[in-house]
Amino acid sequence: MEKLCKGILLVAIVFLFAASSAIGQEIKIGVIGPMQFVQGQGHWNGAIMGAEEINAKGGIQVANKKMKIQLIKADSNEFINITDATNAMERLITRDKADFILGGFRTEAVLAMQDIAMEHKKIFIGVGAAHDELCNRVAKNYNTYKYWFRGSPFNSTFLVRTSFIHLGTVGAILRQFLNIPKVKVAIVAEKAMWADPMIPAAEAVIPKMGMEVVGVWRPSDKATDVAAELSAIQRTGAHVIFTIFSASVGITFARQAGELKIPAMQVGINVEAQKDGFWQATQGMGNYVFTMNTYARGVESNENTKAFVDTYVKRFGETPTYTADTYSAIVYTLAPTIEMAGTLDPDKLVSILEERVYKSASGTVKYMKDAQGRHTHDLTWGPGYLTAIGVQWQDGELKGVWPNKWKATPEAPEITYKGVVPVKIPPWMIEKYKK
Amino acid sequence: MGLILFYFRKLFTVLKNEVLVLPSRVVVVFFFLFLLLLPLFTKDPYLLRIFTLTSIFAILAASWDLLSGFTGQMNFGHALFFGVGAYAAALLNRHANLPPWGTIPLGALAAVVAGLVIGIPCLRLRGTYLALTTLAFPIILMGLVFAFPDLTGGELGISGIARLARSRVADYYIAVVLMLGLCTIMWKITDSNTGIIFHAIREDELAVRASGINTTRYKLLAFCLSGFFAGVSGGLYAHFMRIAGPSTLEVSLSFQVVIWAIFGGIVTIYGPVGAVFVLFPLLEFLRFWQDYRTLMFAGVVLLILLYMPDGLFRWLRDKIEKECPRCKIRNVAMRHTCRVCTAPLD
Repeated sequence: MEKLCKGILLVAIVFLFAASSAIGQEIKIGVIGPMQFVQGQGHWNGAIMGAEEINAKGGIQVANKKMKIQLIKADSNEFINITDATNAMERLITRDKADFILGGFRTEAVLAMQDIAMEHKKIFIGVGAAHDELCNRVAKNYNTYKYWFRGSPFNSTFLVRTSFIHLGTVGAILRQFLNIPKVKVAIVAEKAMWADPMIPAAEAVIPKMGMEVVGVWRPSDKATDVAAELSAIQRTGAHVIFTIFSASVGITFARQAGELKIPAMQVGINVEAQKDGFWQATQGMGNYVFTMNTYARGVESNENTKAFVDTYVKRFGETPTYTADTYSAIVYTLAPTIEMAGTLDPDKLVSILEERVYKSASGTVKYMKDAQGRHTHDLTWGPGYLTAIGVQWQDGELKGVWPNKWKATPEAPEITYKGVVPVKIPPWMIEKYKK
Repeated sequence: MGLILFYFRKLFTVLKNEVLVLPSRVVVVFFFLFLLLLPLFTKDPYLLRIFTLTSIFAILAASWDLLSGFTGQMNFGHALFFGVGAYAAALLNRHANLPPWGTIPLGALAAVVAGLVIGIPCLRLRGTYLALTTLAFPIILMGLVFAFPDLTGGELGISGIARLARSRVADYYIAVVLMLGLCTIMWKITDSNTGIIFHAIREDELAVRASGINTTRYKLLAFCLSGFFAGVSGGLYAHFMRIAGPSTLEVSLSFQVVIWAIFGGIVTIYGPVGAVFVLFPLLEFLRFWQDYRTLMFAGVVLLILLYMPDGLFRWLRDKIEKECPRCKIRNVAMRHTCRVCTAPLD
């Protein structure tokens, strides 16, 4: 009996030891972002979904053991204080011992945070900042910055290119259906630094697209009345308003344009219009506004999109934004790469990751090289890879409208994402121009 | 050997008769020792980072006190000096390949020029008008930063600047030693004849002018001195963070400096320094409750300002020390008679 008790005791001790060591084997993923703002909430929501999905399967297979994911939330407060963001990053790495970092939003803050993560040789997947410089650093100084990868969105050059394609698409539709020979475009960009370089670019590109620029307007990013700008635009006879909005002026502009029934289509970037609350915020006047987006209900960039969007909507009650791509960074980027490498060693993971081509929730990911063949760890844009989508508000619903039979080049195959519908022209515009 | 013994005896005498007699001085000695010895006990990079940044901002807060506290030139745009120091250091490092020990002093000199640029048009302004005018300058400079993105890096700022030092401990010592040295210099300035004139300008500029003192020159001197010290902190910041961006010119930074100074107690130099050493690490400590961190921080600041309107460190000093009504020498609060003139203290 005594021997049996001793045996049970021994087994129990061994079991407890094994269990405790198994619990201790977790992969720590730090999620850093402006957590008091929607961007940070997106980071965190996406990461929770990703970690839960992986943990539900038992974790990530690292060599011969399963390791679960432990998320660590860090509020970077980067919109208000860059110093705070760098402190949060340092804490995440040195105190919380994060193995990988996801997130970041404001480029100035991400550049500073990137330096810290690189100093500690931690893989940092940027989900939020679009500036090219973040990846140019990898090409310029590979040994230092090779641990940085862009997660979402693709870089700002491609973002601008995509919005010009959307403009061209709408211009073609207007030419075709309303018989407008020369489409006139009004450029309306909020008074913000990020929009400044986009204006000369738009002024240069639009005439090359066979359209005419009728003027540039720069309302305040927090304007509560843009009636003067809209009246001026209407007098120019603009058929398209190319919008560059990230702040609340996007709501004001759309609402007042709807109220005044300005006979012009709004196309471009309107971050407010990407949100589910836009319809209510504009009291339905934001109908027919077209903006670039990453996700929309019912639109599938590939076979992974639907499951992600539906689960996200079910869980958080809203459509995911691109900062929620922390989900893809965990489920499609990190987890399979770690399993392939069988180790958490960042150098081995980097060499595997930069060669991988894989499908995330928003498209196919392939990391780019620059013209000199140097790794940039930037995302490849274009047909078959990541393209983003174009969405339009149609009678209270945010519908995917692009890519719809889109050809990147005349020889390229047509691309249509599942769930996209045709672009709708505002009826008051048809009334004015349809002959 | 005899010389060493002489200085050792002198140090002991000073310690015994000048330092140990007042608790505030003992606290200052412990503060110096704590900062200088901290890396011997911990090399935690996060902790050293917090104290490095705290030291950098302590210089900035003290420099505001020198200008606005002592001279009464209410500056609501102090981030200008910080930003000019940071940008100048970054530009010199990137384009002239100067190392930090060259860029930081030159950046500080650029901030002195900025001090002159602000000081001259602001000479005729006082109070609210001066405060609002100074507030405009960093905003103007930020406009220039965005107007010349090829030079300034625009919204990204200038990144990839050389490190302050090769290790975190070395970063820490550079920042801490400079902070202790520069704050001591600022304190000595305020205790000098120049400091007395600064003080007098704040109290009654007309009377100072009636005494034959060129107040214009002294006000400009205050702007330049303050700009120099703030410029040093800006240069240190740029090299430590390895980026000089528009955030160094933000209005919020200007107001943060004012909050630090008022929290600790203006017209003291030690008050703003102490305040930064309380508030900056406190904000980090409050990370354990991230959602309410800023709210709790604001609550602490409001409570202190409500119950200690002259600042935390002035309040603490008045609790532990008393000033002799006759000879104005400070004494431990427990004493009943002055340690120098033996006048009754109560």
